[in-house]
Amino acid sequence: MIGCVFRTLSAGLFLVGWFQVDTKAKDVVVAEVTRGTATLSAQQHSTPSPIVSYDFNEGKGNVVHDRVGQFEHVDLVIRDQASVKWIAGGLQINSAVELVTEAAAKEMIQTLKKSGAFAIEAWIEVDEFSQSGPARLISLSKDPSHRNFTLGQDEDRFDFRLRTTKRDRNGMPSTAAPEGSLEGGRVHVLVTRGSSGEMDVYQNGHLLSHALVPGNLGNWDENFRLAVGNEVGGGRPWEGRIFRVSIYDQDLDEGQAFQLYQEGSEGEGRLSAEQIKLAEQHQFFRDHVAPLLSNHCLECHDAAIRQGELDLSSKSGWQLGGDSGPLMANGDSEGAVDPSGSLIWERVVSDEMPHERAPLSAEEKQTLYRWLVDGGVWAFETIDPAIYRHRARTGEVWVQRLTIDEYIATVKATFGVDIEDEARKWLPADVRADGFSNTSYNMSVDLKHVEAYQKLAESVVEKLDVLKFAARFGKSRKLSTDDTMREQIEKIGRWVLRGPISKSEQIDYSGVATTVASVGGDFELAIACVVEAMIQSPRFIYRVEYQRGSGLSRKVSQHEIANRLSYILWGASPDEELASLADRGGLRDVIVLDQQIDRMLKDNRAVERSLKFIEDWLNLGRLQNLRPDPERFPEWNQVLATQMRQETLDYFVEVIWTQGRPLSDLLNAQLSILDPELAAFYQLPAGSTKTQNLAGGQRVRYDLSNVSGRGGILTQASVLTIGGDNASMVSRGLFVLHDLLRGVVNAPPPCVNTTPPATALGLTQRSIAEARIADSTCGVCHVRFEPLAFGLEKFNGIGAYHQTDRHGNQLRDDGEILFPGKADPVKYEGVGELMDLLAASERVKQSLTWKVVQFSLGRPLTAVDAEQVEAIHAMCQERGGGYRELMRSLIHSDLVQKIQTEQSR
Amino acid sequence: MSGQVNRRTILRGAGTIAVGLPFLEEMSGSASFACKAGESDVVPKRAFNLFFGLGIPSPLQQEGYDGVLEPLKPLKDKLLILRGVDHLRADEKGINAHYDGATAAFTAEPPDGEAKAGGPSIDQVIRHAAHPDGLPSGMVPTLVAGTFFRRSRVGRYVHSYNMNGTVAATMQERPRDLFERVFGRVDHLDGSDPRRQRLRRSVLDSVLEQYKHMVGTRSPLGSTSKSRVSEHLDRVREYEQRAYGVQARMAGAPDTPDRSMLLHGGSADPGGEGIDLTVDELVSEWRLMADLYATAVKMDRARFGSLTFLAAGERIRLKGDYHYQDRKLFAFDDAGQRQASGSKGCSHEWWHEFRENQANEALRAHAHLKMRELAYFLQALDGPDAVDGNGKTILDNSLITISTESGDGRHNDVQRELSGVFHAITGANGRFSTGQILDVNAEGLDVYNTVTEAMGASYRMGPKDRVHQPTHGLLT
Repeated sequence: MIGCVFRTLSAGLFLVGWFQVDTKAKDVVVAEVTRGTATLSAQQHSTPSPIVSYDFNEGKGNVVHDRVGQFEHVDLVIRDQASVKWIAGGLQINSAVELVTEAAAKEMIQTLKKSGAFAIEAWIEVDEFSQSGPARLISLSKDPSHRNFTLGQDEDRFDFRLRTTKRDRNGMPSTAAPEGSLEGGRVHVLVTRGSSGEMDVYQNGHLLSHALVPGNLGNWDENFRLAVGNEVGGGRPWEGRIFRVSIYDQDLDEGQAFQLYQEGSEGEGRLSAEQIKLAEQHQFFRDHVAPLLSNHCLECHDAAIRQGELDLSSKSGWQLGGDSGPLMANGDSEGAVDPSGSLIWERVVSDEMPHERAPLSAEEKQTLYRWLVDGGVWAFETIDPAIYRHRARTGEVWVQRLTIDEYIATVKATFGVDIEDEARKWLPADVRADGFSNTSYNMSVDLKHVEAYQKLAESVVEKLDVLKFAARFGKSRKLSTDDTMREQIEKIGRWVLRGPISKSEQIDYSGVATTVASVGGDFELAIACVVEAMIQSPRFIYRVEYQRGSGLSRKVSQHEIANRLSYILWGASPDEELASLADRGGLRDVIVLDQQIDRMLKDNRAVERSLKFIEDWLNLGRLQNLRPDPERFPEWNQVLATQMRQETLDYFVEVIWTQGRPLSDLLNAQLSILDPELAAFYQLPAGSTKTQNLAGGQRVRYDLSNVSGRGGILTQASVLTIGGDNASMVSRGLFVLHDLLRGVVNAPPPCVNTTPPATALGLTQRSIAEARIADSTCGVCHVRFEPLAFGLEKFNGIGAYHQTDRHGNQLRDDGEILFPGKADPVKYEGVGELMDLLAASERVKQSLTWKVVQFSLGRPLTAVDAEQVEAIHAMCQERGGGYRELMRSLIHSDLVQKIQTEQSR
Repeated sequence: MSGQVNRRTILRGAGTIAVGLPFLEEMSGSASFACKAGESDVVPKRAFNLFFGLGIPSPLQQEGYDGVLEPLKPLKDKLLILRGVDHLRADEKGINAHYDGATAAFTAEPPDGEAKAGGPSIDQVIRHAAHPDGLPSGMVPTLVAGTFFRRSRVGRYVHSYNMNGTVAATMQERPRDLFERVFGRVDHLDGSDPRRQRLRRSVLDSVLEQYKHMVGTRSPLGSTSKSRVSEHLDRVREYEQRAYGVQARMAGAPDTPDRSMLLHGGSADPGGEGIDLTVDELVSEWRLMADLYATAVKMDRARFGSLTFLAAGERIRLKGDYHYQDRKLFAFDDAGQRQASGSKGCSHEWWHEFRENQANEALRAHAHLKMRELAYFLQALDGPDAVDGNGKTILDNSLITISTESGDGRHNDVQRELSGVFHAITGANGRFSTGQILDVNAEGLDVYNTVTEAMGASYRMGPKDRVHQPTHGLLT
């Protein structure tokens, strides 16, 4: 599992380092710690503040003070000073003693009840490994048998008791760490439980145990006191040294547990004031300055264009300045700068810059001013404008409605019923937004959806063998909503709605069964109606997750991860094995999780899901709508269009799944799978066939190693048609720029005619494009993307390959490619070389990762995601760069393992 | 195409609507259903965004009603033409006005994604202020419809956005879709089996309960997600209402219109290459849409929404003679006149080639046609069958904001492209100073906020800390 650790600062968050869970050793390994050379991130992970905290630094006296001060009456009184000894940074407990609040910790208890989630942390040293009872380390209780919670030592492991509405007043059964897990020396222990009931016990940053403790904290007694080192009232003493105890009103995730451990018992791992200041400056740069420079300056002042010899896309370029000299005035002894003397400020405040563009707003100028005053600190070496394309809406989490494909697959997985024809006929089409048709913010609902869902529910039930289906969840066929049937409904609900259902849901669905009974219906009809209601419920139509919480990110629950796993890999609901593992909490085990990923990737549904990606990404559906000019393209027909689409899909399966090659090989794999008509259209030379017919059909796999022009996804007609009838270099070039290089290009500059001249004798698309690039106003942008399409000039508007155009002009396919962020273009001699350059490009590999991740998550990626996506990409590349590896890396990442919560009001 | 399309010949069953539909009977005399429902002295607030694609270059707007605005002249006393409205803040780098300008129309903010505006549209701001707890039962909360073909981004053709910037309602792009959305009866109850009816009711009750729970205080969802499920709940309620509440009244509903003969969905936008279309085909379908939309308004089934006549950056190759008031103004033949096929043969290109010192004959004809068709819709709300309780027509009483994506189609000067975007508003029951052409020379946000404020909304569009500068000239 990969993730990153952040620390809370006044102005934001600080990346401490990456951590990785070695799935084989089941251990936490710090892969890289960048302490000191901090990288800032707007990521959501952070360590929250405790509501009560004791640092045992008093050194004398009989009171241990709460250092937070949020509540009254939570200082601990040492009842017998002779039993303890103050030591450096802590307290040694030598014999039975109570450290207990003088009064009930009422306010604290109320706060925890309201939150529904908590975490309890302690730093201790244990000498005696035979203590039992368990020996009370921290207890919020009344006596040995009445508690809200108790963290104790039971010989060589920790034990935690928790009272909930589903646990007795003694908090039994308890959650115990594995036998023998308690370590010697100074130990950090953290128990954390979310409002969903998921509880984890960590020791020194490692996850020791996980359990689902059902119920909520509504029955906690507000009259209990907090005790350390013994039970309230005595009788369960603990001995050892204690250095810190903290209580939080929220659950903490794995990264936060690791981070708290990293900070150390006395905060020795905390950042210095200088580090904090630097971190704040980095944060400011990342969140405010980099987007500003990206949006307003890099059009003319990036590594490629460097107008005025100024490159503002890199730290080194910033430091060098341009033709007019350095950008910054010298700072004072503490680095503070007077911006009024800096060149960049002069140009911006006077609206001289951005040149011939809208001036910066007052707010943006203020941002720049503040940054300059602070010394113009950069957080990283290079600004990538692509990550600022989508304005981050931190905390805005859209529930995902099932796409039509997902709905069909979910019905199939849940009931074994094929509803495809009806669903495609009745459900309104999913509309593309930001490159994909599963973009959650855009998946709104209309009356037609509601009507379709109702009709589909009826169809599903009509096609379902209701009694056989019901038999999976119980033997009874008795229509009795008071006993067996309610249990059956609970089980059916758990399956159909992809997770446990609440009491109120049980009651509601039982009500449907009751109505059936009241009209003289039977068991079968009752189950049919219940299922019909469930299929129309939001929990079926949407992928509902628990989004409320502290406002920070949290680890997703077992059923949430099961669903994420299933929809990402299959585009369908979890199967029985996955659902069963989620019920048992088995997916917390990274080895089990990996086994499941492997199992699911071997299933054909994973292939089908990946094909949805390629189809959506390349918008292959548009091929059915194309109507090229029949006079110019008489060979075009719908059969050919269908075969073009199929070529790309087959190619993807062959390269990615059959041959298991990296995603970037899609750009230059020298093969294709073609129907006879398409092969004829491509005019492949005789003898280029290498392998057999596929699956007994007409399609044949061709080896293209010796075929000039073809080889790679960009040379397939399905993609080449993006250029329209005129094989527009602008359209093709922009596709490569946006979809393969994640490049950014601005709108045309002033005073140019954007209507290109038509080709003619002596005037090719290439020469027209070159004229645009040579133009001082157009070339600034066109040089970034049109040369990307030069290599494709020999392909006409529908993807046929020619050496001359319709006017008889000789066509070329040499050119040069300028990778985003690079200063110098790279030349290529033909389309094959262009494809090889793209396939080898790290930028292209990154872009493919971004595209797959966007599709998998169902939302556009923003600057907030950039760190995680890069980590996923790095992990994927390390493992080979294939689709399977990308899926594994993605699923282990925080983008899947965690959810951004919204603070409950 | 000559003269106006006869509604009765196009809208099969239009006579049924006009005479036989109970809603319309209620409407006659006192104009709207709302008046019957206890609002006899109160004119309901209505706000609609009327969009047309490709815009009118600023210099042509200066010609007033003597130029391409001629078809609006008969309505000039009921319109306030606004010149000099700019949406510069909507500029998104790398995106021309067909995207950002189109999304800024009625929102005055840059897009926040291909299918998301940077904020709410005028109609929705007014809707939320006027009906914070939802519209009266039986109404379509927001009606979004249009005749258009280009669809590469939703912002090109949808012009009504929720408070969070997402689309306010699903686009109804076929007359039959629009008809069913407004007048359609949910086929939920199948006749005489009372037992089956009761069970269906029970299932629907359960579904409603689940949606209510999902938006209630104990919902697991955050506010953003809740807003989506809340929309869904509204649709389920509407479904319920149609299935049970209005069933009897819908019994006299007219037959559905014939199937559209034009291209829709993905095939209407073949790879951005444009489609061939005759003037008759375009106008016939549009007028049917306009009639249906106007009927929905007159029957008080819709008070808020948007109507689109051709998308932003629309790509059509139009053919056919164009007449206005028995004068033949132009013979459309975009592909022939441009001597090009595909996208290069589309009318869109006339906008790219606009030159102030040239005749721009084809562009003028296209723009004139658009104004004629907008006028057709406006006039449908201005007839004797569209009189509200206060004796004025719905056109007089409503806020209808007309706009487009740019003030210049050449994509070569952001300042020029996103400035001088054509706007016109209706009087909204005397709130706005109609009967004039006003050079407001103001930012769109200020104009819009002035409009919404006058309509009783306190919500301010745009950045929270922005100082609003009212454009007083709009107000009476």
